[in-house]
Amino acid sequence: MRFAKNLIPLAVLITLGVGVACKKPAPAPVEPPKPVETVAAPAPDNSDALKREAEEAARRKAEAEAEAARKAAAAAEMARLAKFKNDAEAALKDINFDFDKSDIREMDKAKLQAIADFLKANADAKIQIAGNCDERGTVEYNLALGERRAHAAQNYLTGLGVAEARLSSISYGKEKPKVQGHDEESWLINRNCQFTLQ
Amino acid sequence: MKKWVLGLLFILAPLLQAQSPPSQEVVLSAQAGSKLGIALPHPKVTGVAEATVSTEFHAVLGKDLEEAGPFSVIQKNLPAGTDPSTYQAWVETGTEWLLTTGVSRGAGGDVEVMIQVVDVMASQSKNAKAVMSKRYTGKEGALRRIAHKISDDLMARLTGEQGVASSRVVFVKETGRGIKELYQVDRDGANAFPLTAYKSLTISPTVAADGRMAYVTYKGGAPEIWGQRVPGGPQVKLYPLSSKPEGHCFCPSWSPDGRRLALVQGDRRGNTDIVVLDVASGRVRRLTDSNCINTDPSWNPAGNQLAFTSDREGGPQVFLMGDDGSNVRRLTHEGTYNGSPAWSPSGSMIAYVSRFEGKFDLFVYKLGEGKSYQITTGLASSESPSWSPDERRIVFTSGSRGGMQLYTTDLSGNTLRKLINMDACQSPKWTRSR
Repeated sequence: MRFAKNLIPLAVLITLGVGVACKKPAPAPVEPPKPVETVAAPAPDNSDALKREAEEAARRKAEAEAEAARKAAAAAEMARLAKFKNDAEAALKDINFDFDKSDIREMDKAKLQAIADFLKANADAKIQIAGNCDERGTVEYNLALGERRAHAAQNYLTGLGVAEARLSSISYGKEKPKVQGHDEESWLINRNCQFTLQ
Repeated sequence: MKKWVLGLLFILAPLLQAQSPPSQEVVLSAQAGSKLGIALPHPKVTGVAEATVSTEFHAVLGKDLEEAGPFSVIQKNLPAGTDPSTYQAWVETGTEWLLTTGVSRGAGGDVEVMIQVVDVMASQSKNAKAVMSKRYTGKEGALRRIAHKISDDLMARLTGEQGVASSRVVFVKETGRGIKELYQVDRDGANAFPLTAYKSLTISPTVAADGRMAYVTYKGGAPEIWGQRVPGGPQVKLYPLSSKPEGHCFCPSWSPDGRRLALVQGDRRGNTDIVVLDVASGRVRRLTDSNCINTDPSWNPAGNQLAFTSDREGGPQVFLMGDDGSNVRRLTHEGTYNGSPAWSPSGSMIAYVSRFEGKFDLFVYKLGEGKSYQITTGLASSESPSWSPDERRIVFTSGSRGGMQLYTTDLSGNTLRKLINMDACQSPKWTRSR
């Protein structure tokens, strides 16, 4: 009895075991993970999603690349502008004149060459040339003298091959002195042509 | 009434002579042979505040008459009236003309001023005569203007020429770095106020006889000539209008008839020429065409000649030419830098500036004599002369560097007066027009 009692579960176990073992060779037709099948059933939907995902990723990548390119371009532009500004600052130096004169001084010819070189290197740059005078002439005569100084510089630059259309001029006479001093040094500084980007 | 005589005394002052370029004589002129004594007792006042009348009328009239030139103002506290028995006391003070005034409140609230001028000197010979009797009215606040008008009328009565007490001076004042505006001030230094508010460089005013302004302003960037086409009208661009010239324009000057503007036009080589713009039609005629600077045009009163500055023979010198550009001749020969010519109202003189040892002084060239006379010999630089409408004085700028102020002088240089206590002034233009 005791044996029998023990046997039953064993038999059950065996039976179960056999049952399990027996079922093993023929699993094919059963294919139990049906639910998966069902989920996978709308096959086209799934590929779309993947595609979208891929597209999204590609888009993001492109965007990131574009952004990077933009940033790089902006940085390059910034650098170019900074260089342009630096070059402009380096090139656009005042030239000065003797009292009541509008002749380009020998020592200023290199400055004008640097301005011409700058304009050649920066094809879209335009500059304004402002002619100025010291306070020791009359108001009206100095306006004319400033006009003549501005044109002297302008003509010298066109002589160096700068297109006329890239140069404009103005005269302030003695109306806008660069420095306020009233001595030889200040007067020399105030007898000038100033070059500014337009 | 004693005949008032303008005597020109030529005095050689060795010190001044030493400072002036050779052969330009120093002239001390307008030494009145005698001035006419005019007594100005305090007005009888009714219905108007005494203090106002004192400062805005009596003091103003006294100053106007004193500064007019041919009057010597006598202020004495004596009985003033039309009673001949009171005249003797005035005569003893040197009075010739006794000017009694009454200020009252007229109907409608206007201020009313009655004046009577008696020649008390003549009255001694039992020949007392009223020189002038006149009534003036104006709105509240018009007392200053009335005082100026009385002074001008008395000048006209005495000399036959209208006085300039009612005149004004238009000028340029720097109000900030690179910012200059037009201002005006009454001849007596009162009522200064700005005429423009462009917050830009605005310079070189000229005023037509009818009061129309023209000037150069950089408010659009490049210099343009703006001004008025009709008296009291809006400020509009006068030049350039259609085509854009190669060079810039400067220095407008109204012709005496107010129809044309002489102005300076630059060319593509940086030379500047005098051109004349017919304002109504916009037609422009070029008067000079030389490889140099031509600027500072100033008309003669007939409007058929112009004085101008040119460096065609080297440094700046003053030249004359017809209003068609013909008959150019050089006026100044002394000194290396002469400019800013201003033709006098009668046409007989041209004021200009000459640079000597680093500063300018005023000179007057007398066309009849063919000679120049030095007017100022100060230590400061004196620039931009403009004649008073009666030709008795010249307004100009003078001062140490950067601190140019407005002054007036007679032709002797003896009665130098500061017009107004204001710094950074330039290019005054004296005009009768209001």
